[in-house]
Amino acid sequence: MAEMVKLFVNGQEVEVESGKNLIDAFEVIGIEIPHFCYHPALGSDGNCRMCLVGIEDGRPPLVPACKTPVSEGLKVQLDTEKIKKIQHDVMELELINHPIDCPVCDQAGECKLQDYYMSYDHQASRMRVPQVVKEKKMDLGCGVIHDQERCVLCARCVRFTRLITKTGELGIINRSDDARVALFPGRSLDNRYALNIVDLCPVGAMTSKDFRFKQRAWFLKRDKGICHGCSMGCNIFIDHNREKYKDDLIYRFRPRLNPEVNGYFICDEGRLGYHRENEGRLISARIGTEESSADQALQTARRRMEGADKLLILLSPNCSLEQMLAIQALAATTGATVSGFSDGSIKNGDADGYLIQDDKSANRAGLALLGVNTSPEFFESALQRTDTLVSFNNDLFITGPNQAWAKKLGEIQIIAISTHDTLFSRQAGIAIPTASYTEYAGSVINKDGILQTFGQAVCKNSAPLDMIRIAGLLGGTLTDPEALMQAMKRKIPAFAAIETDQIPEKGLKLSHNEAAHVTA
Amino acid sequence: MEVKILSAKFDIKDAHTLKVAKEHGAYSGLDTLFAVAPVVIIDLVKNSGLRGRGGAGFPAGLKWSFLPKGLDKPVYLAVNSDESEPATFKDRYILTRDPHMLIEGIIICCYAIGCHTAYIYIRGEYTTQVKVLQKAIDEAYAAGYLGEDVAGKGFQLDVTVHRGAGAYICGEETALLESIEGRKGQPRSKPPFPAVSGLYGCPTIINNVQTIASLPFILQNGADAYKAYGTEKSPGTHLFGISGHVAKPGLYELPLGLPLLEVIDRVAGGVWRGRQLKAVIPGGSSTPVLTPEEAKTATLDYESMAAHKTMFGSGGIVVLDETVDVVKLVENLIDFYHHESCGQCTPCREGLGWMLKIVKQLLRGEGRMADIELLRELCDNIEMKTVCVLSAACTMPVRSYLDKFRHEFVAYAIDRPQETGLNLG
Repeated sequence: MAEMVKLFVNGQEVEVESGKNLIDAFEVIGIEIPHFCYHPALGSDGNCRMCLVGIEDGRPPLVPACKTPVSEGLKVQLDTEKIKKIQHDVMELELINHPIDCPVCDQAGECKLQDYYMSYDHQASRMRVPQVVKEKKMDLGCGVIHDQERCVLCARCVRFTRLITKTGELGIINRSDDARVALFPGRSLDNRYALNIVDLCPVGAMTSKDFRFKQRAWFLKRDKGICHGCSMGCNIFIDHNREKYKDDLIYRFRPRLNPEVNGYFICDEGRLGYHRENEGRLISARIGTEESSADQALQTARRRMEGADKLLILLSPNCSLEQMLAIQALAATTGATVSGFSDGSIKNGDADGYLIQDDKSANRAGLALLGVNTSPEFFESALQRTDTLVSFNNDLFITGPNQAWAKKLGEIQIIAISTHDTLFSRQAGIAIPTASYTEYAGSVINKDGILQTFGQAVCKNSAPLDMIRIAGLLGGTLTDPEALMQAMKRKIPAFAAIETDQIPEKGLKLSHNEAAHVTA
Repeated sequence: MEVKILSAKFDIKDAHTLKVAKEHGAYSGLDTLFAVAPVVIIDLVKNSGLRGRGGAGFPAGLKWSFLPKGLDKPVYLAVNSDESEPATFKDRYILTRDPHMLIEGIIICCYAIGCHTAYIYIRGEYTTQVKVLQKAIDEAYAAGYLGEDVAGKGFQLDVTVHRGAGAYICGEETALLESIEGRKGQPRSKPPFPAVSGLYGCPTIINNVQTIASLPFILQNGADAYKAYGTEKSPGTHLFGISGHVAKPGLYELPLGLPLLEVIDRVAGGVWRGRQLKAVIPGGSSTPVLTPEEAKTATLDYESMAAHKTMFGSGGIVVLDETVDVVKLVENLIDFYHHESCGQCTPCREGLGWMLKIVKQLLRGEGRMADIELLRELCDNIEMKTVCVLSAACTMPVRSYLDKFRHEFVAYAIDRPQETGLNLG
């Protein structure tokens, strides 16, 4: 717990955390100080002047809150006529050269100019002279589209490329009201985090080529999720919507703050990973090349598994802990060997030392925790012995068709429970669609041993079955949520002590021993 | 009325060369300087009452004493030679006619504050000045007045000339530091003040050319000799650049405290062509204007100007005769500050452009009375809401013109009250 200091806001004594600036400290206790340029990840710049607050008996009496640390006994004025007038005046000046094109602006609904206009300005325009004209729809690269006229010159984007990606593609050129954000000559945005600029931009000056004109922000349902694009487990918002007569579709992922995992940002690959949730999905079950109902496919699969010799079950490192447990129970019932072999999802050398990891799966640590063998040798020998392979969303052909196993795979029965219609699922004798990670709730452990839970966000019109349910229908005995919970508690001591709903928002850091402990 | 302290060598042929400058006493104070402790020099400057000649008039010795003690960081001196305030043309004389006076002043200051690296930040447009200055510095290095062992006294000092790229704002001390560091010239938020964290994050003193150039006289003649000129609170002499509608425009060194109108009449030859005086800008374009009535009681010192709700500024006096159209003057004024706004803070960046457009609209005969009120309100809304005082440098004088010459603005408004009887012809 941080040290607390007492100070006064509008004459009221409040207690806030020390070491923060006024904006951050007051936000915690529910007091808003409007600001454009300040961002906790980018520090205070002090250019927007929207956060000017009064300090009683202060020298100077007017200070930017972003640059003012909390201190004992400080008397901060936010509600004086003087401060209200400054906020009103700064808003007027922010808006005089703004195109006010909210009806065609993607930021509408989540725009600081709109919000602050309603809260702090709310007056008719007094501008009777022509506005400053600047460039519009500039393609800065990496899918970032810039509108200089909407820009409030807060320089968050510029500071992001200097402080976070350290690529420095952007600067502010020219002076006065001709100042504008621009690329350095001969450059374009070229980094793997560029789309964070769109989130950082407090107004509609930076929009995403991918998201532009697709949805109005107010139609989107915002659910919390965990990105399954790599083993970092970045926290995200899943923004989705079911339009009339259409399916529930995801329109974007946005970063969600978790100081223990991803901070304020996510990578662009992860952000755009939502496309894979919408597209290329396995829609209906297949037996051979014939479409079938899921029921029939499951019954056929179950019969084949019962008659199998040395059944091999292949787990995906993207499965949730709950799914892994349910499938392990299925393996126990059916006497199957379980492998977690998935070397194909590791892209060596892709990690960047920041958020992006080599391992493109979300729960490899979960496999290790549950004692699932992931070695290629173990898989190979099990494959050579078996006549039936059941894959739970593990795409053996993720890096292309595998020549080494082609003969063997051609000889055995393959049952692919798959989120996507892939080369591998098409080779399977039986293919059964299953829910993807935005469509079920579960837990995953990231590469640092942080256990994070997530809820179901998307609900498809014809929702494919969850892998836990499929495991049950194939003969597994562990499908009840309560029973799964108890099983998890047995496997994870840190988990045993607390209720599921008490898992902290930031995730539960497992001790080194727990994360590495093989209990199988 | 004129005196010759700073300008003593201005009219001597080739005084910018080391040889001639030395013949007339340049660098002769260095023996005295290095014979005493640095703190003695700081006290001397404090006693002399020398105030910063860049415009703000902050006591120089006091500024130096703000340097934190016992830091293991280097101390820097940045000599502000940006001289970008319109109507100001004093430092350029020092740079071209007596650069060794400035270099000697730098040696004195650096010894006093324990600085071994000094920068002279000079405006990019000063091409002749920078050549003369650099030549003088080269000569000083060659003669051993700068470098490893200044005047054989065991004091190391390097002086680097840094040319600006033509921005008014780089005369603001923290924008100047940003510019030296190679970034876009934009003022920094204060605190921290440069004396604590300035150039490259180190303690830095920034003084105007004329301030530093005043040091050799004070060192050689003592604080009392300096205080013999000027007033009690504004001691010493100042280089006044008198321009505008006077018979004899030019640079004049005068003791502080002289009556403004007397100086205009007796030094600068009075308002030209027998015309009437309309107004006086006392110290550069950013200082609020004085009416002839106000000018009658104003004297050329910091206190009198403050009492007249204006500023002493940079000593750039502009005399305006009766033919001046104040609205056009204000257009010109805002045009300059709008162009020079660094664009960092919202009020200044957006507001000055709006003000300019309002005045242009008025001049086109499309403005209304309400626009004049809006212009006046914008002055209040913009001023002092920003990181630096550039916006105030525009709004303070504009407000003074609006208040003191309101009728001239009204005359341009299409909905002006008819009974004003004004006719623009």
